[in-house]
Amino acid sequence: MKPSIYENSRDVFLDTVNAKDYIQLERISMIYQALKDSIEKPLKMVLLYGKPGTGKSMFLSKLHENISSAQKAYLYKTPILDESEFFKTLAQDLYEIRYDGELNFTQFIKVVENRELIEAIVPVIMLDEAQLYSTSMMEKIRLLSDTRKVKFVIALHKTQKEDIIAKEHFQTRIWESIKLENASSSELKIYIKKKLMKVNCLDTASMFTQKSINLIHKLTDGNYIDTNKLVYTLFDIYHYYAQNNPNKIKGNYISKKIIEMAALHTGLINA
Amino acid sequence: MLNVHELENRHKKYKLKSYTPYLIILLSITIALVSISFFTLNYFNSISKSKNEAAEQKEVYTKNLETKSTVEEKSENISVPIEEKKRIEVQKKQEKILLSPSLDFIKSMESQTQMYKKENENFKTTEITEKKMQEAAKKVKEPVKKIQERKEEIVLPKIEEVKESITVAKETSTIDIKRRDEETDIKHVIKRFNVNHSPALSLFIAKKYYQLENYEQAYNYALATNELNNDIEASWIIFSKSLVKLGKKEMAIETLKKYIKHSSSSQAKQLLDEILSGKFK
Repeated sequence: MKPSIYENSRDVFLDTVNAKDYIQLERISMIYQALKDSIEKPLKMVLLYGKPGTGKSMFLSKLHENISSAQKAYLYKTPILDESEFFKTLAQDLYEIRYDGELNFTQFIKVVENRELIEAIVPVIMLDEAQLYSTSMMEKIRLLSDTRKVKFVIALHKTQKEDIIAKEHFQTRIWESIKLENASSSELKIYIKKKLMKVNCLDTASMFTQKSINLIHKLTDGNYIDTNKLVYTLFDIYHYYAQNNPNKIKGNYISKKIIEMAALHTGLINA
Repeated sequence: MLNVHELENRHKKYKLKSYTPYLIILLSITIALVSISFFTLNYFNSISKSKNEAAEQKEVYTKNLETKSTVEEKSENISVPIEEKKRIEVQKKQEKILLSPSLDFIKSMESQTQMYKKENENFKTTEITEKKMQEAAKKVKEPVKKIQERKEEIVLPKIEEVKESITVAKETSTIDIKRRDEETDIKHVIKRFNVNHSPALSLFIAKKYYQLENYEQAYNYALATNELNNDIEASWIIFSKSLVKLGKKEMAIETLKKYIKHSSSSQAKQLLDEILSGKFK
């Protein structure tokens, strides 16, 4: 095999959240449909939670891409921790109002309340890594959603979510929560293979046997981020051997040794 | 940039590390197995050794018994040729090797038999028929009697020694074993008696039964002895004693009187006096 095929295969697994790289898996597509439906329901807030690397960001990214053409939808991949900055960004995006000075919550909520909805469609604000927002900020987000002039989709880590749910006021809101789980071994196999096939790396895709997938699943525990990192390093090593020592990658299957080497490099194995 | 060389080294270390617990488990299992097999082998060896030792002891013991019994048999035969006597001596020598405690006894017996030999040789220089032998034996009645008395003395310690050797071999000293051996001894002697009809053997059996308080059997064997040889004093005495014990006092007195008339035996006289005075019951 040419070294370039390993290079191409490697680059597929660069850990970037890009809606184009979204892989359709049966379970994930079902969850995605549930999320999409909940956006259309008259819910004020939708909560998306799960362990890191379960695909929350990818979900939001995919959702944003799909609905932004039909309605106003904004995705904040990184949290805007400064309160004034947060409201100014919202004012800019939702109403195209630019504030040069400070904008506090009272001022902004007045603006929101006074605005009329265009064709009764509620704009959607998607907040990734919402566990980083402070409790008071979350309270203000809740109050904004209470106006029914803006809808929030919040993605956060499961551990943080438990703290938030514990708060009574948050529990009283009408909201939907969707849980994302780690991939199973078979899902991981489809995920890796589909990713490679998307860029026509059929040769490398066929190199993944169930045995090697099981090992990867054991090492990453079905975490998509970790899997991306591991497979990226794996193809990096393959690329190196293809250039410098092709004898070491003679087999038609992914070598256990190289998987372990990649795991060592990414820190999934401590030695 | 990926340092594959360094990664390979790390992988080697990782593999070594991951195999270490298995190696340790394997090593400990091997050590355990080796030690277990070592101890079990030792155990079985010790068992087989002790078995062998026991077997050896048994062999020695049976040999002793055999030699002893032959010695007894030979020594009881008064009119034995010189060649046979030599054989007895050889066997006695064997006995010396096997049973050191009976050494003194053998020496004393030898000295006694030598005395007898000299006397006996005088009879054997001329060609003597069996009848003549008996006649000669009558003449030398007293020495014969003496020898028979000695035999009585000899036979008993020997049996005791056998008993001792049994107890040493088995490392147990219960009364049951002794009794059994006495009974088996008697049975053994009876067997031999049935074969060669030696009056010495029947006398021995009679004495043994008398000791065991089986007076009926003692009477029977004393009678058998008298039939074979009516000049054995000890036999008459046992015969009379058994009669007394069986409640036939008068018959005993009559028998003794007849015998005293015939032989003028002092022992018989003494016994008669005891019976008459009621000392012996």
